[in-house]
Amino acid sequence: MLEVSNITVCFDKAMIINDLSFHVNAGELVSLVGPNGAGKSTLLRAITGIVSWEKKVLRGTIGGDITFRGKVMFEGERIDDVPAHQIVERGLIHCPERRRPFRELTVLENLYAGAYLVKDKKEVQGHIDQVYELFPRLKERSKQISGTLSGGEQQMLAIGRALMYKPKLLCIDEPSTGLAPILRSEVFEKISKIRELGITILLVEQEVDSVFKMATRNYVLSSGKIIAEGAGEELLKDEGLRKTYLGL
Amino acid sequence: MIHDIKVLDIIISGLISGSTYAILALGFSLIFGVARIVNIAHTAFYMLAAYVIYSATYKMGIHPIVAMIIAIIVITFLGIICYKFLIEPIREREAAVLIATIALAMVFQESMLLGFGGHYLSVQPLIKGYLAIMGVKIMWQQLLTIIIAVVTLGAVWTWLSKTRTGLAIRSTAQDREVANLMGMDEGKIAVITMGVSVALAAFTGAVVVPLTVLNPFMWLHPLVMMMAAVVLGGMGSLKGSFVGAYILGFTEALVVFLLPGGAYLKVSVALFIMVLVLVIRPEGLYGVYFEEER
Repeated sequence: MLEVSNITVCFDKAMIINDLSFHVNAGELVSLVGPNGAGKSTLLRAITGIVSWEKKVLRGTIGGDITFRGKVMFEGERIDDVPAHQIVERGLIHCPERRRPFRELTVLENLYAGAYLVKDKKEVQGHIDQVYELFPRLKERSKQISGTLSGGEQQMLAIGRALMYKPKLLCIDEPSTGLAPILRSEVFEKISKIRELGITILLVEQEVDSVFKMATRNYVLSSGKIIAEGAGEELLKDEGLRKTYLGL
Repeated sequence: MIHDIKVLDIIISGLISGSTYAILALGFSLIFGVARIVNIAHTAFYMLAAYVIYSATYKMGIHPIVAMIIAIIVITFLGIICYKFLIEPIREREAAVLIATIALAMVFQESMLLGFGGHYLSVQPLIKGYLAIMGVKIMWQQLLTIIIAVVTLGAVWTWLSKTRTGLAIRSTAQDREVANLMGMDEGKIAVITMGVSVALAAFTGAVVVPLTVLNPFMWLHPLVMMMAAVVLGGMGSLKGSFVGAYILGFTEALVVFLLPGGAYLKVSVALFIMVLVLVIRPEGLYGVYFEEER
């Protein structure tokens, strides 16, 4: 479904992603794990067009020039030269790091924003009902300004918003960061449910324990390279990997 | 009683200045929010619209209402051209945008000075005559201006909160990157917003022109007051600039009518209030927190 080949991303002279290749098959839940600064978020941002957008719009105003090379294929079509807002139309949705709701908008307006590309009002309502079913808390808070929600609720909102345009592949960036343990397990439970809806998931996480139990395959990233790949159990057997990169 | 007269005068005058600043500040905040552009030329478009109306009505004999519509269309078009060719290429460099828009405003000012001269010009009101309440003369044009301004503010507000494009503008204003991830074409939305923003400035010029005198420097005072309103309300908050505008409008009116020499003091007192609010609340009344960095 997603085929990333030999991509390299540099911010000015710092190489964040170094000639990296990986793929996601339809129906899988693939995780990207690794220490801070390994390039996990940048990798997602490169896939969903944000790096290209930054390169085009910011033109070196922050952190110098951005280099982005390589090939990204989604459902057999090349998307590395497609603008971010058009990548969304193809069903590749990115739920960003640190949740980032539109803080001044209400919960419901945030969901409407997620359904921006859906023109049919009935269809939008259908998606909203589906999201409310998955996250009943959002329904209770629908009129609340999203900036005033708790961290866990904001994460639910961010995922709900990303579901509003029927994703085929949903990329979720660190959903558990900054949440209490009980909320983390709730978030992971919801992600499993989303997968049951037939949505392929690419999950970036630091919470290796929970992720390895859920994911079909895992990639371990370090310094912009993939250093290991496989099912959770296999990776956990490797003592060096556990100690050095996974912190277990 | 002399005080009764003053109260009514203050209310009318406060509503007019407040509404003028509010429409200007709304447009200014919109494009600042969506594209992070501090458009110093914003009120210069307001000045240009006033001159277009003057030329259309006096030089070409066009009906004032038609002239207003022409002015708004022409100036909006001009605004979008300026955005596309002058501002967009340097959009992410704040200092460059600031200088470019100051230059743009100066170009407009000097062109008008060249074309029309520096003397004061005036435009006939749409409705002549006045209404007398408790011995105070209120010109129909004043009432009309207040009504049109309030209706417009309401209409823009409703458009922003109820429509799909309005939602996209508000979303982009808060987080461009995430708006992109929702499938919103952030570049296109910036152009639309620039159009709306300049149209609002032109509209203000069109509405206010019969109540004021035209000269090429008429953009400076509203620019200062509009920016003060935006800063007072909190950069990036539409609601804030709205509230800030009316606070400053009424402050001006109060100072003019209640203090001796008030006409000279009004700007300093209004700006003093702005400084005072910023000392107590640096983010302004409704400060917005921007989530931009990675």
